[in-house]
Amino acid sequence: MWQYILKRVLLMIPTLLGVALVVFLLMHVVPGDIALLILGAGEQGGDVNLSELEKVRHKLGLDRPLYVQFFSWVWGIVRLDFGNSLWTGAPVIEEVCIRFPLTFEVAVFATLVSTLIAIPLGTLAAIRQDTWVDYGVRVVSIGGLAIPNFWTGILLILFLVIYFEWSPPLVFVPLWEDPWENIKQLFWPIVTVGYRNAAVSTRLTRSAVLEIMREDYIRTAWAKGLREFLVVVKHTLKNAMLPVITIIGAELAFLMGGLVVTETVFTLNGLGRFIVDAILRRDIPVVQTMVLLTAFIIVFVNLIVDLFYAWLDPRISYRTAKASQR
Amino acid sequence: MRHLKVGAILLSVVMLVGGLWAVPLALGQEQPRRGGILRVALAADPPSLDAHQEQTFAVTQPMSAVYNNLLVIDPHNYPKVIGDVAKSWKVSGDHLTYTFTLHEGIKFHDGSELTAADVKASWDKVVFPSGGVISPRRGNYQMIKSIEAPEGFTVIIRLHHPSPPFLTHMAHPANFIYPKKYLDTDPNYFKTRAVGSGPFKLKNYVRGSYVEMERNPDYWKKGLPYLDGLTYFIITDTSARTTALRSSRVDVELRFLPPVDVHAIKQQLGDKIVAAKVQSIGNFGVTVNVGKKPFDDERVRKALTLAIDRYDAVKTLSSITNLELVGDIMHPESQWALSKEELEKLPGFGRDHAANLREAKRLLAEAGFPNGFRTVLTNRNIKMPYIDLAVYLISSWKKIGVEAEHKVEETATWSQSRLNREFALLVDPYGSTTVGDPDEMLDKYVTGQPENWGRMSDPVVDDLFALQSKEMNEAKRIQLVRQMSRRVLGKAWRIHGLWTTRLEVRTARLRNYEPLPSHWNNRRFEDVWLTAK
Repeated sequence: MWQYILKRVLLMIPTLLGVALVVFLLMHVVPGDIALLILGAGEQGGDVNLSELEKVRHKLGLDRPLYVQFFSWVWGIVRLDFGNSLWTGAPVIEEVCIRFPLTFEVAVFATLVSTLIAIPLGTLAAIRQDTWVDYGVRVVSIGGLAIPNFWTGILLILFLVIYFEWSPPLVFVPLWEDPWENIKQLFWPIVTVGYRNAAVSTRLTRSAVLEIMREDYIRTAWAKGLREFLVVVKHTLKNAMLPVITIIGAELAFLMGGLVVTETVFTLNGLGRFIVDAILRRDIPVVQTMVLLTAFIIVFVNLIVDLFYAWLDPRISYRTAKASQR
Repeated sequence: MRHLKVGAILLSVVMLVGGLWAVPLALGQEQPRRGGILRVALAADPPSLDAHQEQTFAVTQPMSAVYNNLLVIDPHNYPKVIGDVAKSWKVSGDHLTYTFTLHEGIKFHDGSELTAADVKASWDKVVFPSGGVISPRRGNYQMIKSIEAPEGFTVIIRLHHPSPPFLTHMAHPANFIYPKKYLDTDPNYFKTRAVGSGPFKLKNYVRGSYVEMERNPDYWKKGLPYLDGLTYFIITDTSARTTALRSSRVDVELRFLPPVDVHAIKQQLGDKIVAAKVQSIGNFGVTVNVGKKPFDDERVRKALTLAIDRYDAVKTLSSITNLELVGDIMHPESQWALSKEELEKLPGFGRDHAANLREAKRLLAEAGFPNGFRTVLTNRNIKMPYIDLAVYLISSWKKIGVEAEHKVEETATWSQSRLNREFALLVDPYGSTTVGDPDEMLDKYVTGQPENWGRMSDPVVDDLFALQSKEMNEAKRIQLVRQMSRRVLGKAWRIHGLWTTRLEVRTARLRNYEPLPSHWNNRRFEDVWLTAK
């Protein structure tokens, strides 16, 4: 097993380097200059003095050849120095650390909420197929898929504001410092994101459970006179979980960098908004580091999911994985 | 005895009259109330804390409360320039030497005293920045020859030539006075730290989230400030700022909000909020790249400007945007503006729109485009007012056969297209962050100036700009500026659009505060207070 994990970890390096190179090139192909924005080119009264512009570019190192810029960044990564934000001048890792706890908490709890909703509801809909329970679950899940979560978020906020004259606090307080303040701020964003993700997982759980329930071994289990609970939980659900776990893992990885809209609607200082702002400002070190981080999370979560497969399905073993790679 | 009686009667009358005056005075003059935290929605994320090196309100708005300036625009008597750390100043007869005397006893937050050396070091950083320092507004101070601090509380600034707006430029809100000792160790010291002499001290700053300030109990202006603190919440999304105001999570939004959002807030909160409409100094129009055909032809430019019914545009756009006023190249409510009668004689400003359209078609035909032509209008991807205005312009030009493709770019791309002249027509605003002096506003029409994006070149305009820039007699200066306005609009060097207003929303509990035209100004909050809830 350890050999397999080590191999996967080593494979991450060329993957991440490739991602970094592609992003670096893309950022230089797209027109736009952060030096102009620093001088207020987009602001009323902004005075773009050309000598100042050159000075800013020089200060930021943007006048160096592209390959020098790229390799000095890569060399920094090797030394765990992710560079400084061109916009704020602060170390990128410091900027990421400010925003990471919030995004991590929303992503993890939203995934947890969606899993807790999706698996029971999806299973229930499958075992009560074509009854009012199934119809109800389908309506709720299709609603979650059809309604964009920014709209759900805006509706929630307006509802709270208009009817209760209340809306979530603006300042993030970590869970371990003040749990109540933390819950007040993050409860609704977690519900909004969790509902949307639950919709996907519910649909998937329902179809996976339905498929497994038509297998011969389930029919055998029923014929043996096993209780419904045992048939569903022990024999059906465990086998139906493979695609569901895959999608839950993918959603979790996506949320780590993709909470932009929710963060904007709920005024959260998270990584999603941070990366979008960085792209708009052409803050290349921030974009590169964030993409690298997101790529790392996706690869890492995929590895965890792959390891989960073996636990869920004893037919999959690390030896099998190794053999299949040969 | 008789004299006594007359005296008594007179005294009674005086007391009665005095008393009658005193009653409304007492009712009208509310006593300042100490305490409370003012919560402000900040519409952008500050790149750093050093306003000298940044050209965004996102730094100046919050940090103004931490510092003092040499001069400021009077928050209660706009546009008068008053001393801040400067107690008084003298101007030499030739207008080339300004001698400022500073208040004594001003303490920075670290306990050290503010002296002329600090003022000199701070202003040197703005006007003569060293290698590693950026000074985006340096161009405003090219008239300054030297800054001297001969004595502890005297600063002398010498100029190359007389400059009418010199004091106004000196009152720019971003030019804070920093303690010299920190600048000596690191000119970038104040990018991440704040040591000022202002009414509030920086308490906490979480990048991307909020800036928190607490009252400076040793503020040199006795008894001030009244507030216990300020908290700026960084909320970059407009609808999120509106929601924050609607839910009373913030007390004030200092930039501007769209009319529809303000209407929604007003409906929800009624008299609990004040929505002030301010005549902000900003104009949205179209810069023409005169290096590209057919825009080198004056007749084509005139046709484009004649096709726009600006009076109808105001009616159409004012309900959805902040575009509300028709005017020439200077703010229509300033002393520099042309009279309405004069304005209406210029191409595109006449009231008879049908006649304007006929003239536009005639000019296009004369220029060789009887059926119009196709072109591209480059724009920024911001709805209000960029895209709204462009939609109106494009539909106006269709009436004379000009088909303009709307090319929308995000800010970084748009600003690079503008710099590299990669446009034919460009929606391009200009404005002022102080009081809208012609020197600040009109350099974009001068040959070779960096902000002359369309590269127009008119020796008459250049001469008029140079003359007004040194004319110390205001009446004569006004005439020169008006001549320049007539020339620029008469030749259609710019397809002039509309002037903006600013809707600033604040809680009705905030007292002794009125917004100024520029959202950069009056952000110290030293003499405002909050009434009880």
